[in-house]
Amino acid sequence: MIRLTDGRRAYLLNAPALLVLLGLVAYPIGYSLWVSLHRQNLKRPRATKFIGLDNYLSLWHDPAFLTSLRTTGFFVLLVVAMTVLLAMALALVLNESFLGRGVLRSLALLPWAMPGVVNGLMWRTIFDAKTGALNGLLTGLGVIDSYQAWLSSPTGAFLLTAFAQVWNTLPFAVILLLAGLSTIPADLYDAARVDRAGTLQRFSQVTLPWLLHPLLIVLILETMNAFKAFDTIYVLTGGGPGNATNVIAVLNVRTALTYTDFGLGSAYAWVITLITLVISTGYVAALYRRGSFEL
Amino acid sequence: MDRRRFLKTASLGLALPVLAACGRASRDGAVQLEGWDYEAQLVQQNVTRFTSMNPDVSVSYTPITSAQFIQKLTAEFMGGGGPDVLYMYDDSLTSSVEAEYLQPLDGIAGVDEIYHAIYPSNAAAMTYQGKRYGLPYYTDMQSLVYNAKILAQAGISAPPKSLDELEQQAIRIKQAGLLEYPIGVAAQLADTAALWLWALVYANGGDLFDDRLRPVMSASGSALTAVYEWVQRASQRSRVLDPASVQLLPVPMDNAVMAGRYAFVLAPRYALRSYNDPAKSKAAGSARLAMVPSLDGRTEGTVSSTRMYCLGANTEVKDKAVRLLKYLGGFDADGSPYTAKFWFQKRGLGFAYTQLAGDPEIMRQLRTFADPEVYAHLAQVARARKATAVAWYAEFEATLQQTTQQILTGAVTPTAAVAGLDAAAGSLAKRYE
Repeated sequence: MIRLTDGRRAYLLNAPALLVLLGLVAYPIGYSLWVSLHRQNLKRPRATKFIGLDNYLSLWHDPAFLTSLRTTGFFVLLVVAMTVLLAMALALVLNESFLGRGVLRSLALLPWAMPGVVNGLMWRTIFDAKTGALNGLLTGLGVIDSYQAWLSSPTGAFLLTAFAQVWNTLPFAVILLLAGLSTIPADLYDAARVDRAGTLQRFSQVTLPWLLHPLLIVLILETMNAFKAFDTIYVLTGGGPGNATNVIAVLNVRTALTYTDFGLGSAYAWVITLITLVISTGYVAALYRRGSFEL
Repeated sequence: MDRRRFLKTASLGLALPVLAACGRASRDGAVQLEGWDYEAQLVQQNVTRFTSMNPDVSVSYTPITSAQFIQKLTAEFMGGGGPDVLYMYDDSLTSSVEAEYLQPLDGIAGVDEIYHAIYPSNAAAMTYQGKRYGLPYYTDMQSLVYNAKILAQAGISAPPKSLDELEQQAIRIKQAGLLEYPIGVAAQLADTAALWLWALVYANGGDLFDDRLRPVMSASGSALTAVYEWVQRASQRSRVLDPASVQLLPVPMDNAVMAGRYAFVLAPRYALRSYNDPAKSKAAGSARLAMVPSLDGRTEGTVSSTRMYCLGANTEVKDKAVRLLKYLGGFDADGSPYTAKFWFQKRGLGFAYTQLAGDPEIMRQLRTFADPEVYAHLAQVARARKATAVAWYAEFEATLQQTTQQILTGAVTPTAAVAGLDAAAGSLAKRYE
């Protein structure tokens, strides 16, 4: 009988899972990189050929891509900034003791449970120019005289789409920050109070340093989420008006699935991945070693 | 048998038929028919009639969500399968032929007769590089639909013939306090064509491409530039064109018309059937059909769309598939286009057969919701889009819709818009070389 060492037994036991991961994750990722090096459009299967980096090089002269990249940049910036600020405020509130905190914490999670498509449909109904609840509310309060087409202006559509995206992803950031807040020893706040530190000082000298790691995770995950935001935007505006909300994920899905240009679509996907990787590395470099506490 | 052996045997017994079903070709001699999921029960009803008349042919009909129809077909054909008979949009015909999913119908007995019996614009839409690929399912033409009651309340007795007249009438309606935005168009970004825009260009005798499919959008005197100038004026200056149009898809627009919220819309003729249905519409009896207004008020034209039945390239039951194809898109034994008439009678879908325009039953039914003269005249002056003959049409259409939204929101000038479209078309043509 063959006797296995612990190491070999571990590999053997993990082999089925590794094979599944290789087949379902690593292979498609590798294959998409290979496809991105080809001219491959299903409308012209016979014209498929290896073109090296041409798909990537063509992006720098592709106005649709460049416009989309700019839109995505602003979108990510706005969504991540709004998410971090609101999540921090909400987490600080939910970390306090008050009547109904448990119910409020549960309610705050609800948007996260909502699929992106449903989220998009809900906000589309709320923002509707003819029958939307937002118009009804603002007209009822006397804020506006008549119903407005909120999503018909490029700026309005962009801001409201970012808001809908934040609404969907905010709870996850709140959970992470709440978990971080719960690990801060109460002694530190007591000591700060003895030192006559005010609310702002306690926040900047105690809370924030302890939250740097959860914040790092929130920043990385929310940046990735904002870069790949698709379903809410697609349902809400379809990328319009014009190209005001035509973020790179929408362009990517259209190119690969609607126009069946898998070569160019895969190149878009790899560019998104690389940009996200660079930004995440930047976050880690800036925040990982910071904080006035021992790991 | 112990428990372990029982479980083994049972799982094998369950797994084998599943594996066998996966491996088996799903044909079984039946003709596979696939179409988007419009009125699947009626399609099945019609297919059942066919199989009862042709007992030696069995048909397996699969409706597919219309939003993913082309993508699913592509996946099927790429996997080496694909249906024997399938629906096809005129917008997607070229790319499907180029991808080698379809086979031409030239040489099949009876196809010539069918093509001679239909409107030229439909025949053109089903022909690619001189070969015929489809038999007509239904067709329709864009028209101006107006609410006669609202016009009467504003003291207007006849619909507009020119775009200026349309704007002036809309201003009168607005000033009378009847509607804030009397004109609506479905200008939300969509995978289907913005036919209302094509209709405005075609109503002026213009086009976006020449006969050699070179872009002529930014050429001097381009109809698109003039149409864009009018659209921008109506949306930004006189503010009679609803700014919410950029959020409007065809179905919500239909609902708005039926609720009496628009005095004018550009819509397909068959929409009149719903607009004038008292069970569905507050505007019933008031929705009327008119020619698409042009710049000078004299030129006439509009755009047609054609939906067709095609023959899969890989069919192994060609004879039976052709019989089904000809039943669906051709004539019955008595020489009448049964299925085309069936769809008009059941759902008001437009027909490609000229002979149906004189059919007494059709006329009787048509009079209940539209003016037969205008209805027939729209079919006579309609043109198919030449642009669908390029493989990159879907990409171009998306750019066209984005640009049109920019015109509607005032984000770009008409001159810059057409120049951008021209450049986009050139760049797409180069990418597909």
